[in-house]
Amino acid sequence: MLFWIVAAAMTFAVCLLLLTPLARERAGVRNSREHELEVYKDQLREIDRDRARGLIEDGEAEMARAEIGRKVIRLSEGDGEETGTASSRALGRWVGAIAVLSLPLVSWGLYAATGSPDYPGQPLQARLDRDPSQQSPEELIARAEAHLAANPGDARGWDVLAPIYLRLGRFDDAAGAFANAIRLDEPTPARLAGQGEALTAAANGRVSEEAQALFSQALDIEPGNIRGRYFIALASAQAGDQQAAERVWRQMLSDLPDESPWHGVIAQAMNGTAEPSEGANDQAEMIEGMVASLATRLEANHDDVDGWQQLIRSYMVLDRQDDAQDALDRARNAYGAGSPEAGHLAAYGLSLGLNVED
Amino acid sequence: MIVEIGHFALVLAFALSLVLSIVPIVGARIGDQRLMAVAEPASFAILGLIALSFAALTVAYVQSDFSVANVWENSHSLKPMLYKITGVWGNHEGSMLLWILILAAFGGLVALFGSNLPATLRANVLAVQGMIAAAFLLFVLASSNPFARISPPPIEGRDLNPILQDIGLAIHPPLLYLGYVGFSICFSFAVAALIEGRIDAAWARWVRPWTLAAWAALTGGIAMGSYWAYYELGWGGWWFWDPVENASFLPWLSGTALLHSAIVMEKRSALKIWTVLLAILTFSLSLLGTFLVRSGVLTSVHAFATDPTRGVFILMILIVFIGGSLALFAFRASTLTSGGLFQPISREGGLVLNNLFLTTAAATVLIGTLWPLLVEAVTGEKVSVGAPFFNMTFGPLIVPLLLAVPFGPLLAWKRGDLYAASQRLFVAFALALLIGLVTLFMIDRISVVAAFGVAVAFWLVFGALTDLALKAGIGKASPSVMFRRFVGLPRSVFGTALAHAGLGLTTLGIVAVSTLEVERIAVMQPGDTLDVAGYELRFDGLVPFDGPNFTEEQGRFTYSDRSGRERGEVVSSKRFYPARQMPTTEAGITSHGFSQLYVALGDRAPDGGIVVRAWWKPQVLFIWIGCIFMMVGGGVSLLDRRLRVGAPAAKRSKPARAVEVAT
Repeated sequence: MLFWIVAAAMTFAVCLLLLTPLARERAGVRNSREHELEVYKDQLREIDRDRARGLIEDGEAEMARAEIGRKVIRLSEGDGEETGTASSRALGRWVGAIAVLSLPLVSWGLYAATGSPDYPGQPLQARLDRDPSQQSPEELIARAEAHLAANPGDARGWDVLAPIYLRLGRFDDAAGAFANAIRLDEPTPARLAGQGEALTAAANGRVSEEAQALFSQALDIEPGNIRGRYFIALASAQAGDQQAAERVWRQMLSDLPDESPWHGVIAQAMNGTAEPSEGANDQAEMIEGMVASLATRLEANHDDVDGWQQLIRSYMVLDRQDDAQDALDRARNAYGAGSPEAGHLAAYGLSLGLNVED
Repeated sequence: MIVEIGHFALVLAFALSLVLSIVPIVGARIGDQRLMAVAEPASFAILGLIALSFAALTVAYVQSDFSVANVWENSHSLKPMLYKITGVWGNHEGSMLLWILILAAFGGLVALFGSNLPATLRANVLAVQGMIAAAFLLFVLASSNPFARISPPPIEGRDLNPILQDIGLAIHPPLLYLGYVGFSICFSFAVAALIEGRIDAAWARWVRPWTLAAWAALTGGIAMGSYWAYYELGWGGWWFWDPVENASFLPWLSGTALLHSAIVMEKRSALKIWTVLLAILTFSLSLLGTFLVRSGVLTSVHAFATDPTRGVFILMILIVFIGGSLALFAFRASTLTSGGLFQPISREGGLVLNNLFLTTAAATVLIGTLWPLLVEAVTGEKVSVGAPFFNMTFGPLIVPLLLAVPFGPLLAWKRGDLYAASQRLFVAFALALLIGLVTLFMIDRISVVAAFGVAVAFWLVFGALTDLALKAGIGKASPSVMFRRFVGLPRSVFGTALAHAGLGLTTLGIVAVSTLEVERIAVMQPGDTLDVAGYELRFDGLVPFDGPNFTEEQGRFTYSDRSGRERGEVVSSKRFYPARQMPTTEAGITSHGFSQLYVALGDRAPDGGIVVRAWWKPQVLFIWIGCIFMMVGGGVSLLDRRLRVGAPAAKRSKPARAVEVAT
């Protein structure tokens, strides 16, 4: 409501501002000839000043004065300004009235189409200070984060936050939160396995060596830890030992109570990892194709530093060091020795262990 | 509510700018004083409303109000306060709002100081200004609304592009826009004059200060942008002939021509066609620059926008304003009366030569900038016109102009004496030649280019000093008289000398850096040393450091001079901004006199060392010091009292009296 009052007041003020000159009768307005005359007078004064300072010679000053004098005479020969006729005055009144009316119509019409008048501002601090029962999950997390940023030694806080991060898909944050809890308090199986799971999720499901170490540590403390057993088995499946993995998983299926959500997870894993991996060759071919097209594109258009870096890096990844070296040399030549781009590429090549001597 | 008030103020400003672009012109046409008088209050109100709108957006940024889409996209609650505020214009929507704010501010200034302008001219100028404002406000409201909201609001923003998180963002865009948009006033004056079909003496007096102010701001904006790119990109370059840089350089070139052309017009009523055309072209090039940067046709850090509808919209604005004004020019140019006559060898002739060189140079840069876009549009192929093209075409065009600059101020109006001017410049010439020879034999025995360039630079500086000395009456008067005359010289004479000397200093910096720079690249382990132009740089190791919204690895270096004495420390770092997952390089720079030692970190090498690039940049600071001289020169000229024309006295004065004075 307050918004509408303010908006109405603004519109009214602006309309009033336009009405004032429209309503006032103007008299004695100076015409443009007087303005020109004023300029000429000023120019004459300037000539006198310049002459007094010795910036121009007598002759020059005389010439300039004569020139301005001629302009003044020409000016006085012109006729006077036309003044408004009765019909033009009527037209003027109409134009003025339409202009003032158009202001509220255009502004309110346009604002109604684009604005969100009922949506209050949401300053971050005010949102975080609100009663927790009214806050959204994101706001609650942000609140917890703010609390932990101020009290980084609160291991319990990290314990609460870590699984939430994991559920929201913020895997790196989750791994960091578990690690903090371990560092501040003690390595419990839940924290260790949690960090391992977060790392695995962050690596798109691949169980890294670091994660494996965490799961093993969890199993050392609590041999029956479900997460630990499941992921260690997954790791062996990923390493190619499908039978060992399935042995553990089958054992787990019989150990676990029927209502455990892990049944589904394990069944899925047993189906998923059983498929032999296909398309590895296709993928390699696709990468080669992309690198070749990038090389062709750069052949046609040299001016793309990022493109060159990508090409050189791709060659290095594909273990084609000679091609990488060749691409680097061509790129540096294309930009010319001494150009900033060539220097930048040389530094980049050097970081990959390429030769940048000329 | 504040956000919505800002949004409403923007809409209201649009409605008002529509009124401003129509009513005063109708008034001027039918001779209705009341309609014309609408222009001033409307201009003030637009300025007030847009300032309110800008303030509302700034408040949203300061309070991290992520219910505003623009704030969410470009801010972060942990960002330092300075960058929260500069982030307002560090993005497409906000920067357009800043553009319009400055446009409105210029309109407000004309309304404020315009009482000494003829009523119809003032009404028309403000109306054209209103048209530009209306077009850009519609653009902002229709396709880039900074007040668009999102519900529910996200809890954290996506942060500002790390390259833009720098003090440079606080200075560069506002200065640059002051320049770009300042030329809109010249444009409005030109179009207003064409609408009226006549240009009187007051016109040139009015256009010149605006041109000066816009030109000085643009000079500063470009220089600041160049220095920013120099230290922030970590590439050691200060000018890349990047399309975005060219987009700011083009209006500078034509604006410089306009500035000089306006002098002739003011003093002698000549070169009217040149001046009007240059006024139109300069602002058109500013608009073109806005289009190139804002439409996203260029892929660069400046092109935040990648939405094609925006590109088409700005292109339409471009076509309407440039096409419309040029059509008006073609239609009306013949009615402009020609002014005073002059000989080819004269101050006017020199300034025409200057215009020719500058416009040709601008055309060259324009072709180099647009050619790749044209080819891509027609054939779909990507071609590049790199720095070599610009160096080969722009260089030869600008050198003769630099050589001619010192002659200009020494030539008399109407008919000058080239021989006499040469004689007076003999001392400057001899000194410049001497310095060139010293450079060749003492500093660099191989590079003739360096020696020639340095000589040209000093020729410009000494030429400017010669002009001052002659005007003070050197050799003709006693020292005390000379001093009195020197102090009493018009400000514009000092302005000219400062700007021309600044040009010389910039040339000096460019020549020294391009020809005498030393660059070294090496993989360094802690404890390694690197020799850079006589300085020994020792790598002390990498130290991790946490900033408010970034983490960085600081490479610490100690450097010592030839005698082995330690001179100081340089810190160069690689930063990482997690919110955008973006790395940046922070160059380490130390200055010695006007030269700089510049160190940038590269990536890690396979053997665990880190790639280090180090430069010795001799006299590099002169590039920007020269620009500061030019800016100050523009400012000093602006203070000249002849640019302050009084309004006619309220009581009617008789023209006859002035004639008496004149004869």
